[in-house]
Amino acid sequence: MAGRRALKAVLIDLSGTLHIEDTAVPGAQDALNRLRQASVAVKFVTNTTKESKRILLERLQRLNFDLQEKDIFTSLSAARSLIEQKQHRPLLLVEDSALEDFTGIETSEPNAVVIGLAPDHFNYQTLNKAFRMILDGAPLIAIHKARYYKRKDGLALGPGPFVTGLEYATDHKATVVGKPEKTFFTQALTDLGCSPSEAVMIGDDARDDVGGAQTAGLLGILVRTGKYREGDENKIEPPPHLTCNSFPDAVEHILQNLL
Amino acid sequence: MADTGWPGCAKSLKGVILDLCGVLYDSGEGDGVAISGSVEAVKRLKASDLQLRFCTNETQATREKFVAKLRRLGFDISVSEVFPPAPAAISVLKQRGLRPHLLVHEGLLPEFDGVDKTDPNCVIIGDAAEHFSYQNLNEAFRVLIGLEKPVLFSLGQGRYYKETDGLKLDVGVYMKALEYACDLKAEVIGKPSPTFFQSVLNDMGLKPHQALMIGDDLVNDVGGAQFCGMKGVQVRTGKYRPSDERHPTVIADGTADNLAQAVDVILSQRGH
Repeated sequence: MAGRRALKAVLIDLSGTLHIEDTAVPGAQDALNRLRQASVAVKFVTNTTKESKRILLERLQRLNFDLQEKDIFTSLSAARSLIEQKQHRPLLLVEDSALEDFTGIETSEPNAVVIGLAPDHFNYQTLNKAFRMILDGAPLIAIHKARYYKRKDGLALGPGPFVTGLEYATDHKATVVGKPEKTFFTQALTDLGCSPSEAVMIGDDARDDVGGAQTAGLLGILVRTGKYREGDENKIEPPPHLTCNSFPDAVEHILQNLL
Repeated sequence: MADTGWPGCAKSLKGVILDLCGVLYDSGEGDGVAISGSVEAVKRLKASDLQLRFCTNETQATREKFVAKLRRLGFDISVSEVFPPAPAAISVLKQRGLRPHLLVHEGLLPEFDGVDKTDPNCVIIGDAAEHFSYQNLNEAFRVLIGLEKPVLFSLGQGRYYKETDGLKLDVGVYMKALEYACDLKAEVIGKPSPTFFQSVLNDMGLKPHQALMIGDDLVNDVGGAQFCGMKGVQVRTGKYRPSDERHPTVIADGTADNLAQAVDVILSQRGH
């Protein structure tokens, strides 16, 4: 293992790591408080296509987690940064609940397609419209490319299949902005003023959280909660820096060994 | 020595396979319109000593309805000469004892009337057009993800096609979406699948080198036929684009302005 690094920041996944639906992972609030008392920056990073930062914040505060809206960085934030940087006027295929994260973005006469998860928009007419725009040169930006997700009534298609279909139709690759993309992690660290080698990511998704972070140069800690399945730690190369039972254990490891 | 190039190869041909949309007619409102000279060209081929079949990826109507439309446009054509993907799919289902969940255009559903669809153990998608909603795709996805060995059949794999009001996404896009979601590879039934072309050759009792395919789709018609050992000629009608003549991998054996000109060349080579 590499020698001790000067750890400056901890990135923490939300769903599956701090909470599962409306229940906090046991001991997670206290663990977060202990981490906050150490000299390390904390940011919450998540792939979401339909929940604005405000909605995420309200849920976490209900569960007694100590954080503010500015501590949250999501795939929607990453899409917004890219849109602003490139001065795109996007056709936003995202659910209404996500639109508030795009407040102030010019959307008239769109010249780019931003695709999240929007069952109401994923119909033949709208996809044909997006397709024609891309064929005419509009860039395709994907919030993330998840294959599917779990809904109360069973599994449901994520944005990935629709992005892949449009890529095939147009022979153009989408720019993906969410986890596990390298730029997602580097953007999340930008305003903390630290480099990837000075940061660690904690999450329950071996590929998107841990694998993505380690590819970007962070350390990755996998927790056995949320979507974790036995053997997930063997699915990525290099393996996680650490695999532990839950978020409090991850925090303990950081406090004991990485600071 | 036998002439293997176009148009000399026409001398030794025994059969011709024609694509329909974009070669015989252009689709659009109502029945669409016959392409100039194509009704006469089909008639001349039929009167010759060449066998003639029609090979299409049409999946929005039953074979009977589709042939009736072509007859209304003036073509001398019968149901037994037309090979669309749906009947081919039905014989695959029978061979392998599969019961499909269907995500296809409502016009195609009667084709599957006699097929057992209870407790499905595979999914068939065709060009469902407006029926490609999130909910319908999700249903197909759930059937696939719930199977121990998921099987997805796609009736063709086209990216898009042109209608009078603009370009429309074709079945291949939704095939790719389901492939990605379920991490599987679909089995394509229809052009350019070699088994599909082979079934047409079997029907004529011909070897690949004895047959010629004429189509407007460079990759699926011409490339698919060539992959099977047939000759492939592209016509400059339908979805033809000038860039097709500089395609990096598929080079047509010949190119003709339209079906009428291609048939002229073939028949004159044969001394008609």
